[in-house]
Amino acid sequence: MNLNYEHLPVIIVALLLLAAFLEPIVYRHKKSWAAPLVIASMAFFALSSLYLMAAVNYHGPFNYYLGGWAPPFGIELEIDYLAVFLLLTFSVIGLIAIVYGLQDLKHGLKDEVLGWYFTLYLLLMASMAGISVTNDLFNMYVFVEISAISACAIISIKESRECIEASLKYLILSTLGSGCILLATAMLYMITGHLNIGYLNDVLPRVMSHYPNNILISLGFFVVGYGVKAALFPLHVWLPDAHTAAPSPSSAVLSGLVIKVYAAAFLKVFLKAYPREIFLEIPVMEIVLFLSVLAILYGSIVAMVQEDIKKMLAYSSIAQIGYVFLGFSLMGQRAVAGGLLHIFNHAMMKSMLFLAAGIIIYSTGIRRIRDMKGLGVKLPLTMGAFTIGALSMVGIPGTNGFISKWQLALGALDLGRPIIVVVILLSSLLNCLYYMPIVINAFFGVKGEPELEIGKVPGVMLYSILFLGFGIIFFGIYPAPLLAFLQKTVTAIL
Amino acid sequence: MIDIEVLSKLFNNYYYFAAIILFIIGFHTMLTHANLIKKIIGMNIMETAAFLIFVSIGYIEGGRAPILDEGFDQIYMNPLPQALILTGIVVAVSVTAYALSLIIKLYQHYGTVDADEIARIRSYKP
Repeated sequence: MNLNYEHLPVIIVALLLLAAFLEPIVYRHKKSWAAPLVIASMAFFALSSLYLMAAVNYHGPFNYYLGGWAPPFGIELEIDYLAVFLLLTFSVIGLIAIVYGLQDLKHGLKDEVLGWYFTLYLLLMASMAGISVTNDLFNMYVFVEISAISACAIISIKESRECIEASLKYLILSTLGSGCILLATAMLYMITGHLNIGYLNDVLPRVMSHYPNNILISLGFFVVGYGVKAALFPLHVWLPDAHTAAPSPSSAVLSGLVIKVYAAAFLKVFLKAYPREIFLEIPVMEIVLFLSVLAILYGSIVAMVQEDIKKMLAYSSIAQIGYVFLGFSLMGQRAVAGGLLHIFNHAMMKSMLFLAAGIIIYSTGIRRIRDMKGLGVKLPLTMGAFTIGALSMVGIPGTNGFISKWQLALGALDLGRPIIVVVILLSSLLNCLYYMPIVINAFFGVKGEPELEIGKVPGVMLYSILFLGFGIIFFGIYPAPLLAFLQKTVTAIL
Repeated sequence: MIDIEVLSKLFNNYYYFAAIILFIIGFHTMLTHANLIKKIIGMNIMETAAFLIFVSIGYIEGGRAPILDEGFDQIYMNPLPQALILTGIVVAVSVTAYALSLIIKLYQHYGTVDADEIARIRSYKP
């Protein structure tokens, strides 16, 4: 059988990298081509991800050997259900964010750095695609580092004081995480001689009784490494500043996608590389579960007292990444499916909320929640979309946030842990406490004394958030195909 | 009483031991020092320790580079960790360069590279 789509994953990563490095040259010599180039590369990414998803769904998962070298010697890419699911999420949200960004960035960035911004954006996308498809721990480490540098640079590109500080803080903690990941990889390589996730899964059960210390150390360092990068609760300190200071499209991508890709890498390493028996002996997943419960409560409580809207959204992300880790650490079929679904749903909701906040800042300059009274009359569509996002965050039925919380709750009940359901309910109420006042104030609040100056909102920005809002409703009402796909994904992993 | 077995294990694997000590030194420097340049130095020490551990995995006493030669009774070292660490070094260098450039920018804004001092200046000028 002629599988002509099997080169596509490599082509995606290579093409995004190529476009990334072409971008500054194009921007210098043919300025008007730079934006179409970045849109075209992202559109190619999205279309080929869609095609890959259809192909994998039809023909089943496949493995690709880079350069024709079969593992254990070569690097292997595994394009399974999980990989195509992640690719599609990243590419579609990434495309929407950059379409929106073309307008917003002209407003927020200096003209000469715009080309560099596109470079960093494409590098970030390439590294996330790489993390999604790779099946090799060291390859994953390299992509993690690329995405760390480009994610920091995408914040510091504004060169304001806050951005530089936030970016340096992020960089230092992120490098700490990378160091931990590298050391953990070394520990596993030391006892197995493999870096391939599939081979590790074969060999680890045989060697685990001989080298318990190595396994223990590697588990600890992996939790810390991916925990720092994905902003799991006690290791989240860099996130609020970084996501607040960045330009709005960057915030949307950083909060919606970049922290998720590390959660997905965590899932790959812990559930695909390590054999399941390890978690019976070493309660590392229980620790992660505990941390994610704390993250959900802490993020929601701290978000309540924030004054800056972007900072509030950033703290809300800490709570939401807690849901993803909650699903993964329960390790049940429906719980992991719920966690994966929450990656997709939260990517949509949070990027939409950040983009809507971006529109508010773009057209009025308001960042403080208190000043948003009466904004619903001035920006009805933007605030309408914001309301959909807020309802979805709370988990009102009919929005996609409800579906993933429902799946997580069912997953927790499957494993006989009703206390988790209480946490999910409690956190929904807390979400309601900080999202609803904004909505109510915007539509029913009495206007402030000075009349607000409303700039014109460009159509592209508005359409992109309305599209995401439509997606939230659509997947809230008709989640069946997605759930069926995730069922296959989880069956393949567990 | 000192456990002879533990000591001999430590002595036989002294390179791992040294790497772990370096890792802790780097980690500690990175998290506790207020001076940003020292933080970056700590970051480099930490990464070097991880590289050291990786390279020493593939090291065999008396082994040589894996080039096929006359006679097949040679002991070869594992070249894979060394190849991987080359990539790792490149990554570490670029992260260091980027971090230092950020520090230069911060110095232009604040006139200091001390994190505590920067925090003080920030709270002073709201």
